[in-house]
Amino acid sequence: MTIVFVPFLHAQSQEPEEIKPVPVLTGGAGFITVFEDGNPELVPLISPVLLVPIGKRWLIESRTSFEAELAQPAGSGTFRGKVAKEVEYLQLDFIANPYLTVTVGRYLTPFGSYNERLYPVWIRNLQADPLIQKIAIGEGGAGTGAMLRGGFKAHPQFNFNYAVYFSALSTREPLNSDRFAGGRLGIFIPKARLEIGGSFQHLLQDERSNSFGFHSFWQPTSLPLDIRAEYARSSRGSGYWIEPAYRLSQLPFWQNAMRRTQIVARVQQFFVGKLSSDAVPSVNTKQLEFGANYYILDGFRATGSYGREFSPEGDGNIWTFGLTYRFLIPLGHGDVK
Amino acid sequence: MTPKRLIFAWLSLMVIGGVLWATGQEQANTPHPAAPASASAPAATPSHTAAFQDAAAARLEGEKRFRANCGRCHMAPRKFPPRVMATVVRHMRVRATITDEDMRLILRYITE
Repeated sequence: MTIVFVPFLHAQSQEPEEIKPVPVLTGGAGFITVFEDGNPELVPLISPVLLVPIGKRWLIESRTSFEAELAQPAGSGTFRGKVAKEVEYLQLDFIANPYLTVTVGRYLTPFGSYNERLYPVWIRNLQADPLIQKIAIGEGGAGTGAMLRGGFKAHPQFNFNYAVYFSALSTREPLNSDRFAGGRLGIFIPKARLEIGGSFQHLLQDERSNSFGFHSFWQPTSLPLDIRAEYARSSRGSGYWIEPAYRLSQLPFWQNAMRRTQIVARVQQFFVGKLSSDAVPSVNTKQLEFGANYYILDGFRATGSYGREFSPEGDGNIWTFGLTYRFLIPLGHGDVK
Repeated sequence: MTPKRLIFAWLSLMVIGGVLWATGQEQANTPHPAAPASASAPAATPSHTAAFQDAAAARLEGEKRFRANCGRCHMAPRKFPPRVMATVVRHMRVRATITDEDMRLILRYITE
C-alpha cells in the first residue's frame, strides 16, 4: 500500500489557499413518531457534528448522537424511556494529496453507502433503517483503527473512489468495535450521474467470516429522480433494498408546494443467515414502504411514511411521522476579510 | 428469478449501460479529425471578456459538479459564508470521497 501511494505524496496542496476554513458545529435533529402494530413510540434525537480544520490538510471530525425511544409502559399514559448516547465517530483526517486521505480514530465503517452517507436523520428519505443495514457493520456501525481513502479522476468520464480500513477490537463503551479489515471501491460517472460500488469485509475474530455488498446511486439528468439500491451478504444474513425518490417539481400545478415535495418508496427483503444476530431480523422478512417529504425551509422538513412488513412471525404496519432539521453554526468568522 | 439474481442482473445492467453511455459520450466529445481547427477554437475577444467567460464557465461547471456530487445524497443546502463552506467541503471531501478537482470547483461555486 505504501509503495502504491508514496509517488503521490509530493503532489500539490488541495484547497484554494485564499479561504481559511473555520471550526463548525453542524448536524441534524429530529422528532419522529413511530406507530408499529398500533403502538406509538416517540423518538427525539440530535446528532451534533463538530468539524475542526487545522491548517490546509488536517481535519478533526466527530459525531455524537443522543436518541431516546419513548414508549408507553402497560397501563401508563405517559411516555418513558432512556436517552442513548453514542460517539458515532471521532477521527483525525490528513489529506495527504489529491488521491489519498489518511484517517485514524473511530470511523464509520465504509461498507456499502447507507452507513456513511445516508444515515443522518436529515438526509435519509425514509426514517426507518433498511433491514440489511447492520448485516456487516454490526450494532455500532463503526471501527476503531485506521483507514486510507480518496477519490480521483481516473478517466475523463469516470471518477474512482476507494476506502481500505482496519479496525481493532475495542470493548470500551461507547467506543466498542470488532476486529475487522475491509475495503470499498466505487466508480462514478458524472455525466450519467451514476455511481456503482462494491464492498468487502473480513471479520478477524469469532467466526472469521466474510461479508460483501454492492451499492448504486442513479440520478437521471432529465428527471428529478433518485434511485438508490444496496445488496449485502454476510454469515448473519443477506438482502437488498431499492429506493426510488421523485421530486414533484415537474408537475404543472401548485408549483410552490410541488417543488418542495418528494415522494419515495422502498422495497426490501432480508434472508436469515447461518448465524443469528440481534442487529438483524430473526426471520426472513419483506418490507414495502411509501413516504413523502415536504421541505418547509432549507434544512427543515416534514416527513411521513407507511410501511407493510411481511414475515412468518406475522405481518404488520409501520407508520412514521416527524420533523427533521439540519443545523450549521460557525464557530468563528465565516467571511473572508 | 430469485431476488438475488434479480439484483445482480439489475446491477450488471446499470454497469454495462453506464460504461456504454460514457464511451458514447467520449466519442461524441472527441473533435472530428477532418474539422478545421478554427471551428473549435474560441473567437478572439478582449481580455476582460475572456476572463468573464472563464469565470462564467467555471461557475457553470462548479454548479454541475455540485449537483452531481452533493445532490447524490442530500438536497442542496443554502449558501453559507466562504470560510464555513471551506470547512464543510473539506468534511465532504473525506466523507463522500469527492475528487480534488470537484472540491475546488464546488468550493468556488458555492462561495461566489
